[in-house]
Amino acid sequence: MTIAALVDQALDESVGLSTDECLKCNICNTVCPVARVDDRFPGPKYVGPQAQRFRLAAPVPVNLDGRRVHSPDVTVDWCSGCGWCTTACPAGVKIAEVNSRARASIRAGRRPRLRDWMIGQTDLLGRLGAPFAPLANWAFRNRPIRALIELTIGIHRKAPLPVYAGRPFRSRFRRRGGRVGRPGEPVLPPPDRAVVYFHGCAANYYEPHVADAAIAVLERNGFEVIAPPQVCCGLPLISNGLYGQARGQARQNLDVLAEYARQGYRIVGTSTSCTHTLKAEYDEMLDLHDEDARVVAEATWDICEFLVDLHEQGRLDTRFGRLDEDLPYHAPCQLRSHGIGLPAMDLFELVPGLRAVDMDHDCCGIAGTYGLKREKYEIAMRVGADLFRKIEASGATETACDSETCRWQIASATGTTVRHPVEILAAAYAAGDRAATAH
Amino acid sequence: MATADVAIIGAGLAGLATAVRLAEHGARVVVLAQGNGAIHWAGGPIDVAVAPGVDTPAAAVGRLASNPAHPYAVLADDVPHALGWFGSLVAEGDLPHAGSPGDPFRALPTGIGGTRPVAIVPNGQAAILRPWDPGERLVVVGPAGFKDFWPLAIAASLRRPSVWGGLDRPERVEGVSVELPGLAARRNLNALRIADLFDDPAWRRPALEAIARAVDATGSGPLRVGLPAVVGCRDHGAALRGALEVVDRPIVELPLVPPGIPGIRLYGLLRDALRARGGRLLLGEPVVRVETDGRRVLSVATSAAARSYVIRVGSLVLATGGIAGGGLVGDPDGRIVETVLGLPAEGPPIDRWMTGDPLDPGSMPIALAGVRTDGELRPVDPADPGAGPVFDNVRVVGGLLAGQRSLAERCGDGIALASAWRAAASIATGGGGAVGTAAAVPAPGGSR
Amino acid sequence: MTASPPTAVSTTLDARIAWDALVIGGGATGAGLLRDLARRGLRTLLVDRSDLGTGTSGRYHGLLHSGGRYVAKDPNAARECIVENRVLRRIAKFAIEDTGGYFVATPDDPDEYVDAFREACAASDVDCHEVEVAALLRRVPTLNPAIRRAFAVPDAAVEPWSLIDANVADAVALGSRALAYHRVVGFERSGERILAARVEDVRSGTVHRVMAAQVVSAAGAWGGQIAAMAGAQLTMAPGKGTMLVFNQRMTDAIINRCHKPGDGDIMVPVGTVAILGTTDIHVADPDDWAITRDEVDELLDEGEKLFPGLRRMRLLRAYGGVRPLYDPGETGTESRDVTRAHVVLDHAARDGLSNFTSIVGGKLTTYRLMAQDTADVVCAKAGVTTAVSTADEPLPGGEHGQRFHWLGGRLAAHEADGGGDADLICECELVTRSMLEEVLERRWPCSLDDVRRATRLGMGPCQGGFCTFRAAGAVADHAARVAGSQAEVGKMTATAMAEFIRERQRGTQPIAHGRQLQEALIAAGFQWGTLGLDSLVRTGGGGDGNG
Repeated sequence: MTIAALVDQALDESVGLSTDECLKCNICNTVCPVARVDDRFPGPKYVGPQAQRFRLAAPVPVNLDGRRVHSPDVTVDWCSGCGWCTTACPAGVKIAEVNSRARASIRAGRRPRLRDWMIGQTDLLGRLGAPFAPLANWAFRNRPIRALIELTIGIHRKAPLPVYAGRPFRSRFRRRGGRVGRPGEPVLPPPDRAVVYFHGCAANYYEPHVADAAIAVLERNGFEVIAPPQVCCGLPLISNGLYGQARGQARQNLDVLAEYARQGYRIVGTSTSCTHTLKAEYDEMLDLHDEDARVVAEATWDICEFLVDLHEQGRLDTRFGRLDEDLPYHAPCQLRSHGIGLPAMDLFELVPGLRAVDMDHDCCGIAGTYGLKREKYEIAMRVGADLFRKIEASGATETACDSETCRWQIASATGTTVRHPVEILAAAYAAGDRAATAH
Repeated sequence: MATADVAIIGAGLAGLATAVRLAEHGARVVVLAQGNGAIHWAGGPIDVAVAPGVDTPAAAVGRLASNPAHPYAVLADDVPHALGWFGSLVAEGDLPHAGSPGDPFRALPTGIGGTRPVAIVPNGQAAILRPWDPGERLVVVGPAGFKDFWPLAIAASLRRPSVWGGLDRPERVEGVSVELPGLAARRNLNALRIADLFDDPAWRRPALEAIARAVDATGSGPLRVGLPAVVGCRDHGAALRGALEVVDRPIVELPLVPPGIPGIRLYGLLRDALRARGGRLLLGEPVVRVETDGRRVLSVATSAAARSYVIRVGSLVLATGGIAGGGLVGDPDGRIVETVLGLPAEGPPIDRWMTGDPLDPGSMPIALAGVRTDGELRPVDPADPGAGPVFDNVRVVGGLLAGQRSLAERCGDGIALASAWRAAASIATGGGGAVGTAAAVPAPGGSR
Repeated sequence: MTASPPTAVSTTLDARIAWDALVIGGGATGAGLLRDLARRGLRTLLVDRSDLGTGTSGRYHGLLHSGGRYVAKDPNAARECIVENRVLRRIAKFAIEDTGGYFVATPDDPDEYVDAFREACAASDVDCHEVEVAALLRRVPTLNPAIRRAFAVPDAAVEPWSLIDANVADAVALGSRALAYHRVVGFERSGERILAARVEDVRSGTVHRVMAAQVVSAAGAWGGQIAAMAGAQLTMAPGKGTMLVFNQRMTDAIINRCHKPGDGDIMVPVGTVAILGTTDIHVADPDDWAITRDEVDELLDEGEKLFPGLRRMRLLRAYGGVRPLYDPGETGTESRDVTRAHVVLDHAARDGLSNFTSIVGGKLTTYRLMAQDTADVVCAKAGVTTAVSTADEPLPGGEHGQRFHWLGGRLAAHEADGGGDADLICECELVTRSMLEEVLERRWPCSLDDVRRATRLGMGPCQGGFCTFRAAGAVADHAARVAGSQAEVGKMTATAMAEFIRERQRGTQPIAHGRQLQEALIAAGFQWGTLGLDSLVRTGGGGDGNG
């Protein structure tokens, strides 16, 4: 690579240098959901491109009146990482990414908080809790225990924790003969008839029904599914500044997934957070710019994105039955960061009788792990308040949303059932089949 | 949506107006934008045109239209229709505007103590349209501690006759600072945060009462109250009605340093109008590549995570703004680059981009830069105008149109609306077409 | 970098006082001289035609030289630099950011020079050690990956105005005074002596008669003009240097080309920006020169040899300063080769003026030494034998006391205070309302540019686009409280705004392309369009209000 090309690449990939584009127009401040509800957060312009000019590239500890200070920042910690600022910025500043690095920098100067570390160990928590699902679920819903957890670890007592499903999806999938990439399995069909499924921690430990629906829909459309060995994508670690461990997990995933990607297989995911991490955050946040990271990013698809693409090629099975219902839909912040429009809404249009309505609300508040934290739960609930009100006012019995943490937040706040869009599609297929056999 | 009848690039006034109008014509539209735009900085008035020696916007349009290089030369006849349509649209969204292009200019005071000539304004500023009565005062009232509004400074400035530019003005101007509930304790206080508070009836009432008391304390007699343009945002209609009721005097909202709340209100209205008509708005999706085949644009691709998101289109509308909007970039070597399609752009040579006194609106000849078009707003090559449009299914609207000096002529909004009207009509009556395939042309981008 | 002790700079003159010395010129040298003379017991008055630090000191590169730049060509200058570098690190920590510096050898730099570099440094006692290129590239990832060798030196970044303020404050505490906006318009001579200077209060027009036993010109590039007024002969060879300000610190360390000194071969992180410099072009009149796009291009070309992506980075402005070069041959010619050494000129011998002295040449790094050498001459003439060294006593420390300046300092202080934007007048540079009001209290009457020097108002990416109006509002409030006359407040506020915007724009025009051109047009769009700025500066009331 020529020096010019190397430099161009470095500049293109530089989150820090993107702040050069800031026009100080304050538009990001007008769209920030957290600044809207809490006076302690000065807004993305202040903590992002503005404060960035006061941060050293390699922060060194400074003695300030006897205190050792590693980073000049405090208020950037209130940023939830929802990414709306980056979306709305007319100049292309990667504001949310700058904020994320600044938060990591604050932590780098301190010992990691137990809570933030724990929240990042999703695989560990999943594996530990799964065999004791009923007990774990009971404990997480027991008020005194939750109060104790809040006191000691700092997870708010009312924070929407997920429900363990018992046997993880991987285990169930393997048992029923699903491909997981073990020796002895039948040869995988070529890429036009098979996909790799990145299930993520949520589907694995808490929502295997989402994985089942996804697989049903994929198989119905002629795709064999393989769920090769995978670990947590690492987003909770990135969000909590634990870049080192995140890189380790990223490498594990890339080592497995790159193999398939190079052979042309698409990697389909049911979590917009996981798929965004694979597509963009390994590169932007973890600085993984190698070929493996690149091919995996280019091969990763959100499942609705994938199905819409199939439809454009005329290959989507459109024999959906009638679903007569009003369906509020919330587009997760992470979905907007994908920049793929609203594929779930496009798919809903194909289902007769389905009246899907985009709630058009900025953020449900959970922002991954942000709203779980004791000091941030109230903020999260205020951020999502209008959304919850709109959903309740709609009178609908179920809601759709592509991201698991958003689903748990919305379910907890509104009491409605919240489904992944692919579950709606699976239900529509089933309705169609029933109608067909009834004739 | 991977296909659309029309893709509009740019979510400012021109882009959204074009999209809404096209949706009304029955087209399936998608608006793509890198981010929000100039409308978020707007202060309320709809600037149609000013020209030396004439005293109504309509007359100014006529004057500007006599210059064949000016967009109004093509668009002058569309102006009344566009403005009429705009008037009904905003009324429908509870953001009614007052005034018309045939009305004489009035001087609207601003948040820095200046004035600007206006004729069409939203209701929150409509009180400025009526002539000042003898003895009538302007009382400028601002929340204490709000760093973007200094009532004493504003009043002091507005007492200078020259600031009113020979237009009708009040005999006396006073400035008053008022403590509003809870503001003193806040760490973050900007126009939008205050507007959010005005949206809350529980906060609004005592605040308005405090304002009313402060106004009453300045004495009796006829007066109008000048407030910073923060009287509600999402619920401006209710907030304004509440304010008029409690303060019980005519109210004029003074435009502030960006973000412009009146502009954000208008943006919200246009966005909702677009959704209600089935259109879609995708923010954070800059166009990075356009596929063309000869003189037709076939698809646009936006920069999605890890890949591009392709939309096949029947027509394309460029509403990307001039240099301020990012639709044009001035390279250090003097080239002016249109950033989406690389259309030929005209403009002055680099040594005349910014000249003379920076406080003279005429000192930025670069403002004339833009893309030249035919009568249907299709882009043409200024070096070869007889060759027909560069693309048959592309229209150019708003600030990207060459030949306007939007600062000196105050014509940006009028051109945005008139060109939106014209472009929508042009596409709806057969300028569009079926969706196709072929060679990709990377968007030039220009250097920054 | 701001809060110096109060009343450092005065605004009114008590004409009854007979001063022991009058110092003309309030740059670093003049301020240093004021301090030195005060410490030797001379009651001294300093005057400057504008605010302090608006000459070369306010327009230079921001570099506290290690001397590495001069080791090959001018070892004496190098030696002076390193000695003073160490002194200032002791006595003026608050004004210095200890960035460290590197000399790097790019593919364009001849081996000969590079190979001899470390030895040359050693010969001048300039600390220098070679570092691993890979390690430097990790610290500064934007650096040219093709550099061959790199050497670390104790370069640092120094902020001139807090330095000047501190010198003045030290002198004021001892009974001396400094006066801004007072211009020398003539002298009263009697035979061999200057009896008094005629000093005009620029704002009011009043001309005062200032009696002083000794008169010293520290007027830098304007030294020739002052001397001429006294009837002395002095020809300066002013050398213009243009610099480019980049929006971000693409490097946290100072980077020098390891080669024979030339144009555009140093990048200095100064506060929140990075400055690339410089050029060296002779100008006849230090008040009449311009920056051309060609100069900007040339600087960028050179800068790209150090930072290949430089043209993609955002330029905020271009500015220039005029070096006070003195050519002993007095031919007034080619700038790059004229010595940078300082010279104390005793006009007794030269021009028959027994109590007039000029200090010319030099660089900011050695200001204290220049002041000391000058004070030696002046005191000898005055018969004062007090021995004192300004190198021993720390200067009264600004915001950070006796700690080095830390880039994050202002943000950390603001955050410790609760953070937030409610009280930020200049958001880019985190200038709060109380900072602004403190300066207004201390310096009234003052312009927004004076405020800028004291606080960094308007020096960030928006270049005053947003903050000018907030600052003007605060000025108006202050004026109304202090001045009393409401009628003037409106006009004064408009003038303050207009002047500031004009001055900021001066630096934008030479680099108006790309993102900064867009920024300028956006600013113009809301300043004229939304806010009607043009209505504030027009004269007369006719017409329909358009531009």
